[in-house]
Amino acid sequence: MVKKILTIFFSLVIIASLVIFPSCSSAPSGPQELTVNIAGEPAQIDPNRASWSTERTVIMQVFEGLLGFKQDLSLEAVGATEIPTVDNDGISADGKTYTFKLNEDVTWSDGVKVTANNYVYSIKRLFDPTNAAEYASFYFDIVGGEAYYSSSDQDATAQAALKAAIGVRAVDTYTLEIKLVNARPTFLQLMALWPVYPVREDIITQYGATWTEPPHYIGNGPFLMTEWVHSDHITLVKNPNYWGEKAKLDTLTLNMITDANALFAAYQNNEVDIAGVPAGTEKTVMADTVLGPQILRYAELTTFAFQFNVEVAPFTNKNLRKALNAAIDREAFINNVRGGVGQPAYSWIPPGMPGYDANLGLDYHFSATKAQEFLTAAGYTNGSEVPELHLQYADTGINPTIAQFIQQQVKVNLNIDVVIEPMERAAFTQAVNAEQYSWAWYGWGADYPDPDNWLPQLFGTGAGNNHTNYSSAEFDSLCAQAAIQLDNAQRLALYAQAQALVVNDAPVLFMFYRERFVLVKPNVKGLKYTGMDGDVAGDMFFANVWIEN
Amino acid sequence: MTRYILFRILWLIIVLLVVSFITFSLMHLVPGGPWDKTKTLAPQVVEALNKKYGLDKPFFAQFGDFLWNILHGDLGVSYTLQDRSVTSIILQGLPKTATLGVIAFILAILIGIPFGMAAALKQNSIIDYLSVIFSTIFASIPGFVLGILLIIIFSVELHWLPTGGWGSVQQIIMPAFALATLPAAFIARITRSSTLEVMRQDYVRTAQAMGIKQRVILVRHILRNALIPVVTMAGPELAFLVSGSFIIENLFSIPGIGRMFVNGVFARDYGLIMGSVLFYGFVVAGLNLVVDILYGVIDPRIRYD
Amino acid sequence: MTIAAESVRPHHTLWGDAWIRLRRNKLAVTGGVIILLITLLAIIYPFFSKYDFASQDLNAILQSPSSEHLLGTDELGRDVMTRLITGARTSLMVGIFTQIIVLAIGLPLGAISGATGGKTDNFIMRFVDIIYAFPDLLLIILLRSILGGSIYMIFLAIGLVNWVGVARLVRGQILSLKQRDFVTAARVFGGTGGYITTRHLLPNSLGPVIVTVTFNIPRAIFTEAALSYIGIGVQPPTPSWGAMIRDGYNVIFAAPHLVLFPAIAIGILMLSFTFLGDGLRDALDPRLRR
Repeated sequence: MVKKILTIFFSLVIIASLVIFPSCSSAPSGPQELTVNIAGEPAQIDPNRASWSTERTVIMQVFEGLLGFKQDLSLEAVGATEIPTVDNDGISADGKTYTFKLNEDVTWSDGVKVTANNYVYSIKRLFDPTNAAEYASFYFDIVGGEAYYSSSDQDATAQAALKAAIGVRAVDTYTLEIKLVNARPTFLQLMALWPVYPVREDIITQYGATWTEPPHYIGNGPFLMTEWVHSDHITLVKNPNYWGEKAKLDTLTLNMITDANALFAAYQNNEVDIAGVPAGTEKTVMADTVLGPQILRYAELTTFAFQFNVEVAPFTNKNLRKALNAAIDREAFINNVRGGVGQPAYSWIPPGMPGYDANLGLDYHFSATKAQEFLTAAGYTNGSEVPELHLQYADTGINPTIAQFIQQQVKVNLNIDVVIEPMERAAFTQAVNAEQYSWAWYGWGADYPDPDNWLPQLFGTGAGNNHTNYSSAEFDSLCAQAAIQLDNAQRLALYAQAQALVVNDAPVLFMFYRERFVLVKPNVKGLKYTGMDGDVAGDMFFANVWIEN
Repeated sequence: MTRYILFRILWLIIVLLVVSFITFSLMHLVPGGPWDKTKTLAPQVVEALNKKYGLDKPFFAQFGDFLWNILHGDLGVSYTLQDRSVTSIILQGLPKTATLGVIAFILAILIGIPFGMAAALKQNSIIDYLSVIFSTIFASIPGFVLGILLIIIFSVELHWLPTGGWGSVQQIIMPAFALATLPAAFIARITRSSTLEVMRQDYVRTAQAMGIKQRVILVRHILRNALIPVVTMAGPELAFLVSGSFIIENLFSIPGIGRMFVNGVFARDYGLIMGSVLFYGFVVAGLNLVVDILYGVIDPRIRYD
Repeated sequence: MTIAAESVRPHHTLWGDAWIRLRRNKLAVTGGVIILLITLLAIIYPFFSKYDFASQDLNAILQSPSSEHLLGTDELGRDVMTRLITGARTSLMVGIFTQIIVLAIGLPLGAISGATGGKTDNFIMRFVDIIYAFPDLLLIILLRSILGGSIYMIFLAIGLVNWVGVARLVRGQILSLKQRDFVTAARVFGGTGGYITTRHLLPNSLGPVIVTVTFNIPRAIFTEAALSYIGIGVQPPTPSWGAMIRDGYNVIFAAPHLVLFPAIAIGILMLSFTFLGDGLRDALDPRLRR
């Protein structure tokens, strides 16, 4: 009898403890504070107006959109209940109308519900010419967007009319409808980006430019901003009203240390938990017994290259450009100068992105003989016949090292003299944008993982970000077809042809794909990183991070 | 003297005017503008931005607007820092930069002058040689190198001090020291040099021959006269320190105006540049005025015709 | 009559006398000799060196000093020793030429200002105020974009923003000296302003000026390094000590020798200029005439 009672008693105790303390073993204990570093003071943390990765890092913690990216960079529904498709009537048959059903549980951090009107306001605001949003042009497929954006020379009534004509409206409180001019296959990816995160009209109207200061910086994301000491740090805390799974961290601090050595020292002094290392010290860090195991490395969706101004002699000569491409020992650069961090690039689209083709650019694998062949095909028997080449770059970071490397490689492998011209950063940017350069350093990072983001804008005739003056009717035609091709496989095939064309025409000297190389303190757990991270590794999923004490 | 001061203040205003105008012109002559970004902005956007900040108006109209705003105490807004008013930016950064500058300056004086004098008084002794060697060493190391060495020793190895930031006493020690060493070395050298000169003067020799105590001679005669060159260069040194040492602020992550101004120049933030230049000009010209007045105090033989 | 002849001092001018005294100052001579040696080495060594200052050995990156490379290699595998000595050329030029510009503008302006006084003084000093109140960085960026990244631009830029210190210093000295007895005496004897300024006031005010200039030479080298730090420096791959320090700074955690050696080089050069400068100052001090 006693035995029976005891058994029942203990069973009840066990069941009770399992019920009352179910997550005892997995709940993080101890202070849940993470300190990381962003590249500097963000110029603008207004989602519609932001463009820089530093700004993106801040925005991603405090705001969320209709859609988001998973760690493998596929899309997921966040603020919307599901991803619109043709089957669920989210996308019309002609591909020009998108309907998003909002998740009604989503709230702002002050408790107010997020409604379709928040998105309507945000998207119209994106096109408002006075906001000068850099990413507005990405969304010009939306009806009326471009017209409103370009209307700054018109009077108020005309502008108001244009604004009203933008193809975005709230069908009802929780349903958003967007109309496009043409079907755009990658439109859903664009809807996962920050320029179309919802924002609060009432707050912005009331506070104007100061709405981005705490406590007015109200968002619908897992964190909220409690403090912004300008040029010093930003403090974020867990949003207790977050509709989804709450963040595990209590506090997230973003420091703004701009000097790479100081940042490295801060990491070693346990002041920050995640930090990059000064360029050039990678090998030493890898060899260090304490720091070595704390290294985190992964490929980024970023390509670096040197763009040629193909309208400036002698870069008009395609074979000369190809000769230069073949004359660079990228492997030696990556393995020796960069300590093995990064991948040599022989084509434009980086590995990890749909469209990457390792078989492109085989001609450009380092070979002095091959380079010489191209040079001969270009009409020069010897490099000394080639006029002096001028290479411009912004004199910051490791650019000088890279430039001097190129200079030496071209001299040794082709016997061509290269004069390198360091320029002050803003002067350099202006020279490139005005196409007043001959040969310049160049980089591009993915906004979203699709060749759509990598090819037309950069190599299309007259495209906004095409400063090489490269123009190919065939390329333009391929891109135009791809832009409206709704079948994904066919679309990617078209882009593959387009990329092959670009690689063959060599309007740039492909250099390397970047790899992120950071140190992470061992007690930081749950870090989810992607090739599209902002300033800090894993900043797309900080809500997932916790500290093991 | 009062008339002189009033006259100088009038000149201060004219100087500021000229400096503003030259800066304004320079800003528009230098290649690159605030809207040159790596992701090229659409021309409509640039137009809209120019309109918003009044950059589409003719040159003199813009300058006129600027002056008009100054008269109302409005230094403009920053183009790259969330449209914050330049005044608020300066007010936020200035106390930090100024505190750092003043502390560094005091350190430099406290180290430099005694060392310099001791070296001169005991010329060619061990103290003299040591002082020369130390001042040379400190003058040979650029601020950012000394700074990182300090950080490596005191933060990374010993974990005694934080690597940077602003707010606590520990955070000021290293940057102040890194900032002070070059001026300290310079002050020591100048003090030594000019003390030696003064010491050779007849009136000093006379005083010594008359049996006046060395200490009295030191204070009454040597110190005052030896300090003239020191005061001369102290003014601009202080102005430089107070208005911000970009490199030290950058290294130690101090949110001061030195760093903000330099970043503003690189970002072609016209609003921030104009406001800062005016402020910097005011500080420098003001300090020069103080220096000139001090001349008169220290050396009564100096007259302003 | 022979006794009288023997008691007459040999006649020397101020400058001639100064030269004799300078020669006797051992430290100053050492300093001068070191400077000359460095200059000679900078000119000759590159012809004899095994390595070219620009040749990169990608298999020998960031190496510590060894028998192959006496002072190690840098981030592109270039020999530090060769670059250091070649860099002496550039740095010496930066240091010296900037000071020539500084003296060429600052000395006369400061002297005229101090000696003449009155309206001229005011006018010049207000002009100085304007330059002082001016953001150097903006001017340097502008000069650079107009003149390109040549080394002459750097001389000009640094010289143009730095002459005011010397001008004010000279003026201060002269103001103080003007009231002295020997000046009054010279006037009584009929000396004109110009004569007094060049023969009496200037040489006597040179003391702190020389010290300032000897300090400004390494300071100019640092300014060049600082300019490199923010992206406006000498055109690579030409080495300069300032640029080497800046580049070495980036990898200081991995290869501290890259910063150490140029810093020591600057230190030696600076000590030499200091001793030489002290010697010059002592030599020009009329009170030490024998």
